[in-house]
Amino acid sequence: MSHNPWIWVSAILTLGIFSFLYKENPFYRVCEHLFVGISNGYSITFVWHRILMPTLIDPIGHGQQLWLILIAIIGALYFTRFIPKISWLVRIPIAIIMGYGAGAAIPRGIDAGIVEQVRATIVTRSTFSTAYNGIWAIVIFIGVIATVSYFFFSRERKGILKPLSYTGIVFIMLGFGASFGYTVMARISLLIGRLTFLLRDWLGLIH
Amino acid sequence: MTSVWEKLTKIDRRVIYFMLLVVIVVPLIFPFRLKPKPMPPVEKLFNYIDTIPEDKCLVVSVDYSPDTEAELHPMSIALLRHAFARHKKVGVLCMSLLGLGLAQDALTTVTNEFNSRAMSNADSIVYGRDYVFWGWQQPPLVPILGMGENIASVFPLDYYGYRTDSLPIMKKIKNYNDVAILVSIAGSAVPFWYITYAQTSFGVRIGAGSTAVQAADFYPYLNSGQVTGMMSGMKGGAEYEELVEERCNIFGRRKATDAMSSQTAAHIWIMITIIIGNIGYFAMRRRKK
Repeated sequence: MSHNPWIWVSAILTLGIFSFLYKENPFYRVCEHLFVGISNGYSITFVWHRILMPTLIDPIGHGQQLWLILIAIIGALYFTRFIPKISWLVRIPIAIIMGYGAGAAIPRGIDAGIVEQVRATIVTRSTFSTAYNGIWAIVIFIGVIATVSYFFFSRERKGILKPLSYTGIVFIMLGFGASFGYTVMARISLLIGRLTFLLRDWLGLIH
Repeated sequence: MTSVWEKLTKIDRRVIYFMLLVVIVVPLIFPFRLKPKPMPPVEKLFNYIDTIPEDKCLVVSVDYSPDTEAELHPMSIALLRHAFARHKKVGVLCMSLLGLGLAQDALTTVTNEFNSRAMSNADSIVYGRDYVFWGWQQPPLVPILGMGENIASVFPLDYYGYRTDSLPIMKKIKNYNDVAILVSIAGSAVPFWYITYAQTSFGVRIGAGSTAVQAADFYPYLNSGQVTGMMSGMKGGAEYEELVEERCNIFGRRKATDAMSSQTAAHIWIMITIIIGNIGYFAMRRRKK
């Protein structure tokens, strides 16, 4: 069994969180609140010492990059949310962030998420360089067309749209199944991680 | 009187949890090692990193926090072992603030492994010469786009507080032009940000290490070639560990591989519960009719 007090703290908190599996209880609540508080405290401290101090406060304190004062004031407008009379000022930093974010994201998002994906779906002669690639390219092509047709709500599902949309359902269900399988794997992995910690680092039962 | 099938569909969830605990704990205490067979996405990533030219580097973006450590940390360790075994230059950064400690842990673990075996300074893994830990910068768009122009200006100080441009390794790593591949190991959509901003704008190659939950989202990008290679979940980590041990002869603790026996047992148990539940459901439905 470990002699390190921090391992004990960690193990007790792990058991506290696991106790939720039995039912909601105060021990779990304490652990949950501790986690939220510590995460926030850590983040705030790190941002203050490693971001704000070297990139904002130190340069201004030394009389350099004084234009940063303007940026700091705009950033500080976020706090006006707590003063109802001038809370409208919060729109300024939000507008800047949204404008910058949208401007950066829209063209690149379309390129990476739509154009490149459509390009990868198009079946050309070169796709059939090997039979394996060719078959999967056709499956992907049919899957995309069928799935998109399932979400085509502007027309009644009759004629070609009916079998196509039903095929789409098959692909969607396969996708859900794959996601569910992966989710199970993920959750089990996390449980194994914690149990390994308890059995190895805390109890010393495994090596 | 309730039938057997009815009882099976109403098993208390705590019984299922307890059984799950048993099937995971038993293989941990009495392990049997399964040999993971590397899948093509993992092998592609490995092969690409293996052939990084001398004038380029590998960038590992540690974008996860302790909640997904079990799944993703073995990937970081395996990647670093591979890179250092092949004498590749490595840059490490974090998009997750809580990932800083984990990145530091992975670097310490792997550099200690190599340095304990090193016979000379040339064999050792030296900070500033062989690798650099840039740290964390926010918001994500700033480092992702800024690194395309000048990495040292995005991270003026490294994680340890040294001036980044004073490190010898930084003379060879200016921006994405000097990066052969950037591997984002994340429990969130960070690899997608790299694809959207870094790859679209600067053409840098992206590799991904994702949690199993996220893996299905990244497969379309693997198919389109936007992601060069990918490790998905703990299994992906185990496959990479296998490749590193088999092809680089680097031996060390293989956390993901060690967990595969429990993972397999748990999957079998979950499949059994799903099958029992479904049989019970259909048997009850037939009876009601």
